[in-house]
Amino acid sequence: MIERTPVLNFATHVILIFGLVIILLPIWLAFVAATQTLQAVNSAPVEFWPSDQLLVNLAEAWAMSDFGPKFLNTLFVATGVVVGKITLACITAFALVFFNFRGRVLIFWMIFITLMLPLEVRIVPTYAVAANALTPFQTIMDWSGISWLIKAVSGIEVALEWNLLNSYTGLILPLVATATGTFLYRQFFLTIPDELVEAARMDGAGPLRFLWDILIPLSKTNIAALATIMFVYAWNQYLWPLLVITDRANYGMVVVQLSDLVPDQLTTGGGTPTWHLAMAATLVVMLPPIAIVILMQRWFIRGLINTDK
Amino acid sequence: MRRAYFKFSWIAAALLAPQLLIVFVFFYWPSAQALYWAFTLEQPWGGGNTWVGFDNFRKVLSDAYYWSSVRVSVIYALATTVLAMSMALTLAIFVDRQLAGYKAYRVAIIWPYAVAAPAVGLAFQFVFNPGAGLFSYINTIAPGWWDLSKYPWQAVTAIVIAGAWKQVAYSFVFFLAALQSIPRSLTEAAAMDGARPLRRMMDLQLPLLTPTFFFLLVINITDSFTDSFGIVDTLTGGGPFRATDLMVYKIYADGFRGFDYSGAAAQSIILMLLVMALTFVQFRYIERRVHYT
Amino acid sequence: MTFKLSITAMALLAAATAANAEKAKFEYWYGLTGDLGAVVAETCNRFNASQADYEAVCVGQDGYDKAVQNTIAAFRAGKHPALLQSFDAGTADLMLSGEFYPVTKLMADTGVTVDWADYFPGIANYYSSKSGEFFSMPWNSSTPVYYFNKDHFAKAGITEAPITWEGLEQALVALKDSGQACGLAYAPSAWIDLEQFSMVHNVPVASNNNGYDGLDTELLFNTTLHVKHMENIQRWLTDGVAMMRTQAAGKTARDSFVEGECSVFFSSIADHNTVHKLKPTFGWDVQIIPTYEGVERKNSVVGGASLWVLSGKSEAEYKGAAAYLAFLATKEQQQFLLENSGYIPVTKSTYDALLAEGFYAKEPYINRDIAMKSLTWSEPTELTRGIRLGGMIQIRAEWLAEVEAAFAGQKTMQEALDTAAARGNEQLARFAQTYAGKSFP
Repeated sequence: MIERTPVLNFATHVILIFGLVIILLPIWLAFVAATQTLQAVNSAPVEFWPSDQLLVNLAEAWAMSDFGPKFLNTLFVATGVVVGKITLACITAFALVFFNFRGRVLIFWMIFITLMLPLEVRIVPTYAVAANALTPFQTIMDWSGISWLIKAVSGIEVALEWNLLNSYTGLILPLVATATGTFLYRQFFLTIPDELVEAARMDGAGPLRFLWDILIPLSKTNIAALATIMFVYAWNQYLWPLLVITDRANYGMVVVQLSDLVPDQLTTGGGTPTWHLAMAATLVVMLPPIAIVILMQRWFIRGLINTDK
Repeated sequence: MRRAYFKFSWIAAALLAPQLLIVFVFFYWPSAQALYWAFTLEQPWGGGNTWVGFDNFRKVLSDAYYWSSVRVSVIYALATTVLAMSMALTLAIFVDRQLAGYKAYRVAIIWPYAVAAPAVGLAFQFVFNPGAGLFSYINTIAPGWWDLSKYPWQAVTAIVIAGAWKQVAYSFVFFLAALQSIPRSLTEAAAMDGARPLRRMMDLQLPLLTPTFFFLLVINITDSFTDSFGIVDTLTGGGPFRATDLMVYKIYADGFRGFDYSGAAAQSIILMLLVMALTFVQFRYIERRVHYT
Repeated sequence: MTFKLSITAMALLAAATAANAEKAKFEYWYGLTGDLGAVVAETCNRFNASQADYEAVCVGQDGYDKAVQNTIAAFRAGKHPALLQSFDAGTADLMLSGEFYPVTKLMADTGVTVDWADYFPGIANYYSSKSGEFFSMPWNSSTPVYYFNKDHFAKAGITEAPITWEGLEQALVALKDSGQACGLAYAPSAWIDLEQFSMVHNVPVASNNNGYDGLDTELLFNTTLHVKHMENIQRWLTDGVAMMRTQAAGKTARDSFVEGECSVFFSSIADHNTVHKLKPTFGWDVQIIPTYEGVERKNSVVGGASLWVLSGKSEAEYKGAAAYLAFLATKEQQQFLLENSGYIPVTKSTYDALLAEGFYAKEPYINRDIAMKSLTWSEPTELTRGIRLGGMIQIRAEWLAEVEAAFAGQKTMQEALDTAAARGNEQLARFAQTYAGKSFP
């Protein structure tokens, strides 16, 4: 766009730099903490400029937490969650927006409500499901008498079991349901003009072809945004991996490992407040998500097709 | 949801099934059990329970402290949402102008989202701590003015800012994605008509952002009601004297930390009903103003 | 005929673990984090290296609260560990559920001999039933003390660290007169100001001998010496001989002390190690928590956590757990813990051996065993065995919130403690209703 707007450009930079300072300040302070000694990080007031202990702290934090293999595990799980979430969000929203059936609103709400009850509240029964993901079906069969019927007819006793503890499935599967993603896709699909759908139908394209050939290419920026957010979300998962993975040697995740380094503030005392190590580990742990953010940038491209009427 | 162009068929059912199945197994089934405890007194180690009907609700709702917790939760949710979204929108609009260095801005603004939760609390200790943090410099000018252990409004302000800080990146990403998908031909046409950049923003970009805006509004409000105990826990611990005892923090403190599963379940139902009501209002009254096409 | 549909997520796992098949494994979930978590992990490594029969799989659960919570979740699904490290406030439910294997019984059943009389009574009583059977195994143990700045005390002309509150108040006034701006760095703590205070003064926290004798218990702390004590603290804060030093107020009491800003703070003896590591630039020491004049001092009780053996595991796992617990109790392993933390020995024999070796005469351990003096001051009475209250975590939270309100001038201390007790009583009533017909063993 050839347009000279020096005043506005100047204002833009001022606003962005101001925003940046506010946003990066806490991160900067965390970084400074990671460069200090145990004594300095625990004394007031807070330092603004880095000291010289960063490498020492990084080395110690790395040695204490055995991060290496955990990075690969977490990368694998986060990627799985992202792919799963985007796929589910896309197909669910597609079915909800482009098909006409009763109960659409109900189904949308059913998915949306899952945002409203944090894991902490339902931790006990959720663990039970992770220990045997087929429990609900077993219970339903038992209650409804199907189990009894099968046993009476064939003599087979039904005992369904699918243990998800200490497995990648257990880490990924419960996290791929996504109210946010479904909602986001719904918003996007609702902006698709009618003409596009009609044109597709005129060409004799079925719903799946329409989804694959038209909608998915159009939603690239959306996918990039969602993938960025969801990757970071999955990377930073904490309570669920803490719960379902006790085989930390094989399935350990980085943030669980990180919080093992963080001194407990609840106990009546005793632990050394090693915040410098916790912060050094934080710096290491956030590198992959940052890399993903940078990588995903290339998809944030300006829409080329005029989707509007 | 107004459009419907394909006839319902097995395809739609197949597309819906995977997510519904997962949600059923990992959310509804366990949640139903947890919420059932609201009507009982449940023994944590699984020794059984006593049916008490609505006693748990009666106890919570007759507690004056609980109502102030509801009040501060609403204040927190609205303040965080407004703060985070307005900041995110401003930044997104300006980054979208794609001046020199916009890529660096873009990465930097998303950065907070990548900071792991245990570190966020501490980072904000560094900011708000009256004796050691950034705000301690205010106290060197006006001694004792900033004290999170004394002044409820300051404690609330602190958690609102920290909460908003965490949300900015999230809203920013989606605002930016939405802005980027506005076709260039559209803005160029407007520019050719002589519309100044600010005018283009108001007339052209903002209306096209409304679907995203609505999405973020709903998500931000829901999130600040249900996902804020980490910040409260590290910054204020619910204090001073219960001033920042958000509903979800109380649920966490009672149920997760204090093993009162039944009390926490009753509070969870109340919280869910509140958030559902708010969401319903938003869908009913705010979505009307959203321009989809 | 039984038809079993089983989907194995990772068949490889079985192959990977087959190499260790000859060792009987058991799991241990612990709450400690940071450097203390590393100490726990190291005890497991040492145990595994020390013998060829068992393997302890130790899993950090990031905090006592999460350790207990996650164990409950796993327990209800039948996937729980054999051993759990639990803190005091989290165990009332476990005691009443009966879903644990008392360690006295475990050791007897597995043929491990333990000299139970060797445990300090202040520790033993806390973790055992009314009949003297140990529920759980004491491990990381502490008790509160106060830390003081020797240089400040000398400057103010205080020659001896007082062990009465009257004496401490005089000291705080003397400190202020000597130009010390912050005498006592105060942070409200239910564990110290309420529970341990009531122990050493032999006053009840709650009826039924602090809950031991029944579930129909009511809190009594709003009627005892505790009220006067809290009023005194409030007065000290107003007079400026004490300063509020919490994270929310700007700086923790410990940090204010270590920086030399404040002269005195109260904390667990476990902080002895931490204060050392933070390298204060002045001389400092510790003293037992004071009592009021005219009160016959009693023992304080143990804090920290203990190791619980849970029910429903196999015999092999119990044998492994018993071996691990016996291993932890050896003098050598206790000493390993003491050298890497601020905790105290749990058995008399270990303590005596350490004394004989001059352990407590060397830096950084000098005078750390003052905690033993506090813990063993008297034989435990009916009121100083400990506390058995359901909803202890909420009761502590109610106490804290109300005391904060009193300090902020919103109500008097008496009103605040009355409210805290009334709200705590509601909690206790709910607890009694939940476990109707049961009582603490």
